[in-house]
Amino acid sequence: MVYFVNDIITGALIGLLYALVAMGFVVIYRASKVFNFAQGELVIIGGFIVWFTTLQAGLSLWLSIPLSLLLAGFVGYLIERIFLTKLIGESVFSMVMVTVGLLILLRGFVLLLFGPAVRPFPVIFPLKPLFLGDMLIPLNLLIGGIITIVAAAGLSWFFNRTRPGLRMTAVAEDHVVASSMGISVKSSIAFAWVLGAILSTVGAMIFLSGKSLTFLASDIGFAALPVALFAGLESIGGLILAGVIIGIVQSLTTNYLDPVIGGSLGSVVPYIIMLAILLIRPTGLFGWRTIERV
Amino acid sequence: MLELNNVEVIYSDVILALKGVSITVREGQCVALLGGNGAGKSTTLKAISGTLKSEDGKVSAGSIILNGKPVQNLEASDVVKNGLIHVMEGRRVLRHLTSEQNLIVGGHMAPNATELKHRLDHVYSLMPRLADLRSRTAGFMSGGEQQLLLIGRAMMARPRIIVIDEPSLGLAPMMIRDVYEVLKQLKAQGTTFFLVEQNSAAALSIADYAYVMENGRIVLDGPADKLAENEDVKEFYLGVSASGERKSYRDIKHYRRRKRWLG
Repeated sequence: MVYFVNDIITGALIGLLYALVAMGFVVIYRASKVFNFAQGELVIIGGFIVWFTTLQAGLSLWLSIPLSLLLAGFVGYLIERIFLTKLIGESVFSMVMVTVGLLILLRGFVLLLFGPAVRPFPVIFPLKPLFLGDMLIPLNLLIGGIITIVAAAGLSWFFNRTRPGLRMTAVAEDHVVASSMGISVKSSIAFAWVLGAILSTVGAMIFLSGKSLTFLASDIGFAALPVALFAGLESIGGLILAGVIIGIVQSLTTNYLDPVIGGSLGSVVPYIIMLAILLIRPTGLFGWRTIERV
Repeated sequence: MLELNNVEVIYSDVILALKGVSITVREGQCVALLGGNGAGKSTTLKAISGTLKSEDGKVSAGSIILNGKPVQNLEASDVVKNGLIHVMEGRRVLRHLTSEQNLIVGGHMAPNATELKHRLDHVYSLMPRLADLRSRTAGFMSGGEQQLLLIGRAMMARPRIIVIDEPSLGLAPMMIRDVYEVLKQLKAQGTTFFLVEQNSAAALSIADYAYVMENGRIVLDGPADKLAENEDVKEFYLGVSASGERKSYRDIKHYRRRKRWLG
């Protein structure tokens, strides 16, 4: 029973990490209606920035972490200005295809700049687990989970309660209406990319802390995809629930079902949940449903 | 305050939608632009507010002067900063936000929270129904409530001029009366309006001056009370015959236009 509860807690915490990365998807989607397929690549770009500032430049964590977040935000801004700003007003399909191109480009860029070598990632969160009775909880994931919940609460408040956030929500709903009210659509989308890149870097810090860094770490982007679609692409709060559900189901499948069937159903089960929910509720659990007056 | 001088608008570099349109709106005035479907009324408003770009259109000739500054082909957000708000047709509320959140977005340029609150109170005092509906998701409000919300949202920006596209479109007569009542109150408070309408009777009831548009050209203009008495306007836009009888839709449909004003 203790192991079962332990697996549930660990699964929930991994799910919260997925939710953090998925938050980047959602923030960018809300502003531009673009599903950013290069979200995983933003995670490794953020990871390499942290690695560079901490281990290469030798800065202390107190200095390297804020500097990395700043640099990651700047990279997000550059990506939006160079590749996407000219496409505002064009079809969403064109913009989505640009993000697919961006995925290949950023991956190639990382390989070109840093090579395929496996590098150590700095220890940002404590590696030793937390013991609760007989239960063993990874401390880095626990801190990551708390960060995710705080980030989700903060972003929900920002988008629903503050004027800059409501401006971005207006852009998410209708670019033309937003601009007719004096809201700069370009600035809102650029800010969303800055935010998306920062969230990805925080995700990289939690995911990679004390582990190794390669360009393959970008796969976490695809692992977070089911969480974003399950929650609904406009819902930040919903990501927490979706992340926890997917994380728990994945953990239980991996620990209890996979040994029986001798397969790796655990890695597939998030996508099965995603497809099932999309069939029943295409906008996800908490996504904006189309409101049409008839 | 707002001046259009020989404005031409072209869509996709091919379709000439406005052909030398000149209109003047003075401070405190309510000016109406009347015309049938496809006459170019909405295009005129989009040219003024800078929202043409989203439809691949541009002002290809002429000038639009707003408060002394040329605004033709400016970004929509920059036109708003010059004191003009465009209430678009089709009741384009932010459907997933609440009524009050819509209003807050409208007042996003307010200098501080106190001023924002003051503006909210002003809107609610003019339209108490919106105060009752402040937590209602805008997409689930009735058509008339949404139209009131759009007017309130425009007021939140404290613009010097509001341009409104078809405020009565698709509304029940009772709601049209309510919407126009609010517009009349705003006019009495000194708000400047440029109003585009197919519902000519409603528009002429509030306007000081009016223009009639056909095929992208202004074909007639004059003080609203004079235009309301003009026989062509009566026949073509108010559906009233020379003898004072109201014409049925069938009569209008089969009416052979004399097009007096086109010579």
